[in-house]
Amino acid sequence: MTKVIEVEDVSFGYTRDMILEHVNFDVEQGDFAVVIGDNGVGKSTMVKLLLGVNRPTEGHIRICGKEVSSLRKNGIGYLPQNGGSRAASFPATCEEIVMSGLYSKIGFARFPGKSHKAKAEESLKMVGMLDRKKDLIGELSGGQQQRVMLARVLSGDPEVLILDEPTVGIDAESVDRLLHILHHLNIDKKVTILMVTHDIEKVGPYANRVLCLSEGACREEMLPQAKIVHAHAHSHPHGEATHIHCANCEHEKEHGHDSEHCAECGHCEKYKEEK
Amino acid sequence: MPAILQYAYMQRALLVGLLLSVIVACLGTVMVHKRLSLIGDALSHSSLAGVAIGLLGGFNPILGAMGVCIVAAFSIEAIRKKLGNHSELAVAIVMSTGIGLAGVLSGFVRSSADFNSFLFGSIVAISGFEARLVLILAVIVLVAFVILYKELFYISFDEQAASISGVPVGVVNAIFTILTAVTVSIAARTVGALIISSLLVVPVAAAMSIARSYKTTVLWAIFVSAVSTIGGLVLSFYLGLKPGGTIVLISVVFFLLFRFLGFLRGRSMSSKGV
Repeated sequence: MTKVIEVEDVSFGYTRDMILEHVNFDVEQGDFAVVIGDNGVGKSTMVKLLLGVNRPTEGHIRICGKEVSSLRKNGIGYLPQNGGSRAASFPATCEEIVMSGLYSKIGFARFPGKSHKAKAEESLKMVGMLDRKKDLIGELSGGQQQRVMLARVLSGDPEVLILDEPTVGIDAESVDRLLHILHHLNIDKKVTILMVTHDIEKVGPYANRVLCLSEGACREEMLPQAKIVHAHAHSHPHGEATHIHCANCEHEKEHGHDSEHCAECGHCEKYKEEK
Repeated sequence: MPAILQYAYMQRALLVGLLLSVIVACLGTVMVHKRLSLIGDALSHSSLAGVAIGLLGGFNPILGAMGVCIVAAFSIEAIRKKLGNHSELAVAIVMSTGIGLAGVLSGFVRSSADFNSFLFGSIVAISGFEARLVLILAVIVLVAFVILYKELFYISFDEQAASISGVPVGVVNAIFTILTAVTVSIAARTVGALIISSLLVVPVAAAMSIARSYKTTVLWAIFVSAVSTIGGLVLSFYLGLKPGGTIVLISVVFFLLFRFLGFLRGRSMSSKGV
């Protein structure tokens, strides 16, 4: 597997006190990695380092094999925390917002063409917001605003998607829709995803990697729940709900239960899958 | 021909007023959405220090105002970056410095009438040179605004995301800062330093009450600014009023009217977070 994000012995602090110390991790192509950790451990700081907003005090960060040295990162999509709430106070339509994500394709001091408009519409369609393209973004719900912000990021056809707490401040149904879209991107479009989140219970089932930041360092956690559901999700690229039943007694297996023995009858045959 | 158009100075005032109103609305739209509504105040007050320098140095006060405005505008940008979460203080600091400097220097200016003409403007007393200056400026600002429309939109919306997408934020901000500074300093001579800051903000605020997109916000702001300016000049001519103040008051009437229309359409400024 190709390493898309490489964080090598990275240390960083805004003052003399280091927030991150000798952090190491890789994210491979096609990964859906989540970064978890308590408040203040440096999750958002890590994102800023990945985006080149801040430079590491020590160590190296490479994205798609290139050293992160400036803010200009074509091929990287970034969805910030509460991205939608920022948009809420801006008098622009959803279409105008998404068009701004096409900057790298249009270029400096050039005018967008029909193909760019079509691309914006395609991105809005991808997140289920095409019918609201002429609406002011401030008139949408928090979840809808976040989906429009995601469409803006997607319009640039990113290879890597970095999301900083994208589920904060939106309702449970919107979170599910957002995660479903991300899952589809990860599986069908092969977009590598790195998401900082506190909502591991919701996001975990869609991820294949869990990176835990703690006391300035990063360690990988392999949550059974994350592994199992993601593996099954790969066999259902459209992301339909997967129900797993015992081949003997049809007892429904719990998500995250990685034993091959049925909890009900103890049958040891492999579970069968049904949609 | 209406009486107002029989006078060369009024023809010149109407043309200059119209050109300035259009470019001030364009710049104001960006300024308001960058959350820098008060930058016009800071620059216009700082321009008075430049006027005083020009009058004391014996050169065109507009050139003095331009120089000081450009320095003030870049100072705001520099201080804003340093202050982080308290970036709005940059405007207050530069404005205070400008007022202080203007206050001290104005004490040395012999002709207070010259200095006062920059406070409230003297659009009807504009010279041919000044009219040509405005015409050139208007062309430059409009061309820059159209060419950099999407960059300015993106930076106003989310400066960090714009940088990540490859927008040369520093260059675009520098161009915008220079154009704003030059426009404010020239507008100080026409509508007046104390009134230009209102014209940068009020037409945009009015437009935001009824516009249904960013593009229509710009167009409505231009409409309000242009009608207010022409209306203000016409009213002031026939009713013997001060043109600068009349222009601003008409734009405030537009703001109230558009707010009411926006309310009737079930929309309000508060839903936009303004």
